[in-house]
Amino acid sequence: MISSSSKIIAAVEIGTGKIAVLVGEIARGRSLNIIGVGVAPAHGVQKGEVVDYKAACEATHQALELAEKRAGARIDEVWLAQTGGHLEAFYNEASVNVKSADNTVTALDIASVCALAKEKELPAGRSRIHEIRRPFRLDGHAVPDPEHLSGRRLEVGYWIVHGPESKVSDNIHVVGGYHLEVRELVLASLASGSLLTTAEERTQGVLVIDIGKGVTDYVLYRDGHVLVTGTLPVAGDHVTNDLSIGLRVTHSQAEMLKFRQARGTVQTRDKADKVWLNGDASFGDRQFSKMAIETISAARIIELLEVVRRKLGPAFAPEHCGAGVILTGGTSRMPGIEEAAARVFSLPARRGEPPAWVKEELKDPMFSTVLGVFQFGLRGAYEHAVPARRKPGLLSSLTKIFTTS
Amino acid sequence: MSAAKDNHASPGRSWRDIRQEVSAPAMSRKGRRRQVIAWLKAAALATLAVVVAWGGYLLAHEWISNRAALTTAVHSKPVRDIALITDGMLTQQWVHGVLQLPRSASLMALELSALRDKLLANGQVRTAVLTRSFPDTLVVTLQERTPVARVQAGDESGTTRQLLVARDGVVYDGANYDKAMLAGLPWLDGIRLVRAGRGYAAIDGMSDVSSLLSTAQLQAPHLYRDWIIVSLGRLAERDEIIVKAQDIPEIVFSRKRDFYKQIAQLNAVIEETARVLPGPVLRSVNLSLEGQVPVQMLRSPEELAGTPQPAFSFPSSAQRKDSKRDL
Repeated sequence: MISSSSKIIAAVEIGTGKIAVLVGEIARGRSLNIIGVGVAPAHGVQKGEVVDYKAACEATHQALELAEKRAGARIDEVWLAQTGGHLEAFYNEASVNVKSADNTVTALDIASVCALAKEKELPAGRSRIHEIRRPFRLDGHAVPDPEHLSGRRLEVGYWIVHGPESKVSDNIHVVGGYHLEVRELVLASLASGSLLTTAEERTQGVLVIDIGKGVTDYVLYRDGHVLVTGTLPVAGDHVTNDLSIGLRVTHSQAEMLKFRQARGTVQTRDKADKVWLNGDASFGDRQFSKMAIETISAARIIELLEVVRRKLGPAFAPEHCGAGVILTGGTSRMPGIEEAAARVFSLPARRGEPPAWVKEELKDPMFSTVLGVFQFGLRGAYEHAVPARRKPGLLSSLTKIFTTS
Repeated sequence: MSAAKDNHASPGRSWRDIRQEVSAPAMSRKGRRRQVIAWLKAAALATLAVVVAWGGYLLAHEWISNRAALTTAVHSKPVRDIALITDGMLTQQWVHGVLQLPRSASLMALELSALRDKLLANGQVRTAVLTRSFPDTLVVTLQERTPVARVQAGDESGTTRQLLVARDGVVYDGANYDKAMLAGLPWLDGIRLVRAGRGYAAIDGMSDVSSLLSTAQLQAPHLYRDWIIVSLGRLAERDEIIVKAQDIPEIVFSRKRDFYKQIAQLNAVIEETARVLPGPVLRSVNLSLEGQVPVQMLRSPEELAGTPQPAFSFPSSAQRKDSKRDL
């Protein structure tokens, strides 16, 4: 039974390998009840970017329709996860001298410094996705809220995530093609990070890496705040491609071998240890060296993780990452990947465990991002991450009554 | 840190500026079907709203223009009984007389607001609520006014009649009151009765007068019993209420002072005078001044010389305490 005061929201992830939709009933803006799930194989999406609009629409709409059917309710709005190699980010900070005679920080000072920190112009044709504020610093000391405190110099920095408008709008229009409005856009790495880490871990410092099929998203937290986010157009497909080339098999055969035999680290010591391609000794079935498969996959995984480490640059320091590395996403199911991550980052690594409130059937890493989209929104993380929302006018509210289906 | 504080406008375009509407060719079959369903829903809602509004209008029109049909529709019976609930003296017979319902009047066909107006036309009725108790009873609930004074009114023919005045100044005939109770009410003087419709306009200043009378009635019934006339002649100009009592031709009260204190002072003056000078000796007692009570005697000083002088003074605090207790 859907109460009249609740809202039906769908968290949607248009991934390279699959489209995942979770339908949640949000009551009084805070409590979430997941009432439907829809998953469909992705088509027309490469490395997080829509390359075939019609195919992407069909796949996404199939997942949306399935989720609506299972939920038994019509979706009111969509919170969309955003990923892809097209996303970029930069850090910009600003400082102001406190204006009042008694050096007390006012709301005006805060507004000025925030506006200055966000002021940096983006290249033409790019849109802001997130503006993530780092802590204020008053005379060099980090403070959560400087208002009414005394000091001379107020500083703040923003991690600004942006992407090409054309690519972002492609994703939005795929959802729009189902006659739905995207109400929130959430960076996939922030969504996964929000779900899989605790406040304590974020304070200690933690790196979350979401390795999907076409894209790897990562987010580094320090002192409870987002320090760096990033997206790489390299992920599980990279391993499949190398297996396909190295073993001279088709892409689908390589994918099958990857699921069955690939590892993040080489475990097999015997070169003679073989595995069958199909395993049924049918006509054309072939044997492959298990060590060769592991060597190829481990090399690619290590390479991928090293790219992440290089991208993080000086922002990453093992001593400031006390809670270690958390891995998630479909490729994180690969055995031995934690050891590979521990070796690359010189930190303990583990697979992300969703919180206890998540139902057993949704604990698969492929749902981390969509679950995180809900978690991120419900935690009020938007307060710190997205620009102010435009208040709907009376006319638009009236219009919504008649257009919401 | 509140969201409002952090949500400062950003320069440049945000993803929220991207136009989300998708043209029909760019929609999938499922999307178009969803859109059509949304349109149909909106159309159904709009139609429903129009139907409800039209139905409401028709019903209201029917109610106004064809009450008889509505009466038939609800199968109401003729009024057999009028039940009266009142906090005063009016009787069921009186209600019957005022309402004068036709014998065959159907309960549903009654114009309750018109009947209510008939009841309220009598000043004795302060509020009236009429409810239908199906199948055949009309329930009349009344709140009545209580008289605090009487007034003599004359008409064009020169005949006079006694009217009653309520606490809120409403002047009315009064029905079914106990004659002894009415005889105990003081008369009002110094007022002009102004015609208003079939009755008289309410008298100004009655709230102060009734406050004085009720204080006296409650706290000093032995004094109130002797009050014959209450004059409002100086109320508007000097804020004074003049009372003529059995033995004292003029007692002046001020509405600006606490009536309880003034009555206590009057009681003290009367008791003290009676102690030293037996019989009625006071012509006037003025209680309108703070701290002083000028008193005029009925006899001259020479006449009083034969009797012990009224060494009049306010009683001591102990005595005052006693006299208040008497009140």
